[in-house]
Amino acid sequence: MDTKSTPPPRPHQIPNPSRPDFLACWAAASPSKPMLAFHFLRALSRIHGVTTVRRRTRTIRRAAYSSMARAASPRRAWSRALLGQARARRSRTLTGRAVLLRRRRITAAAPPQPSSPASRSATIIAARGEISTAAARPLPPRQEGEPPRADALRRLVPGGAGMEYCSLLEETADYLRSLRAQVQLMQGLIDLFSCQ
Amino acid sequence: MSSRRSSRGSISEEEINELISKLQSLLPNARRRGSSQASTTKLLKETCNYIKSLHREVDDLSDRLSDLMSTMDHNSPGAEIIRSILRS
Repeated sequence: MDTKSTPPPRPHQIPNPSRPDFLACWAAASPSKPMLAFHFLRALSRIHGVTTVRRRTRTIRRAAYSSMARAASPRRAWSRALLGQARARRSRTLTGRAVLLRRRRITAAAPPQPSSPASRSATIIAARGEISTAAARPLPPRQEGEPPRADALRRLVPGGAGMEYCSLLEETADYLRSLRAQVQLMQGLIDLFSCQ
Repeated sequence: MSSRRSSRGSISEEEINELISKLQSLLPNARRRGSSQASTTKLLKETCNYIKSLHREVDDLSDRLSDLMSTMDHNSPGAEIIRSILRS
């Protein structure tokens, strides 16, 4: 299941709780630039119809974060959190208040009772996202040697609220690498476009 | 390296220090200090500032990209090339 354009093969192993090959997982988690470019350019090519400048800026920014999350490995919690946020935002804007009310009713009563298949998939996905974030948010894990500055870091890294300190550091490093690659990609695109 | 973690997370100090040093190597200024406790806080603060500056840069770059795309629509041949590549 390796992507055909990245030269270094990524060992796709599920990280054990005891982390025997800790450094190997760390070294293998570099973001793949061709995949990043592919997702971002594809998202950009879909943007044509939006006329307002502000809305286009917002769409481009969201496309940047979504493509960054898609290019990353789904093992990464920040990637799943970003995609979950994007999905929730899309379902919220598409279907409006009815989905919000139905979502609240679903999370209140455990068995879901869907009415139509299209709204069912949206509400199930949204309910799952809601449940995961609602379960993660009122439960900040207390660490023993954790400095108070880690709280600010938790707020910055997506999905950082429910993580332990150790995984927070790891996710931060991966998020930083991906962010840097995304910034380089966008800068390169701007240079390319402005030279035409 | 015995990195044993119990179920309630008594993570060894060396793991955390290793993670922190890896994080430090990612930051733009390559200051190599000794890993004392005080520099951990400063390191986290620098990381937060760096992430915030990267967010700002993404916003700024997407702003410039949207300006470029507005002027670029159906004008330059480069856009046509890119669009045809993406379509195929």
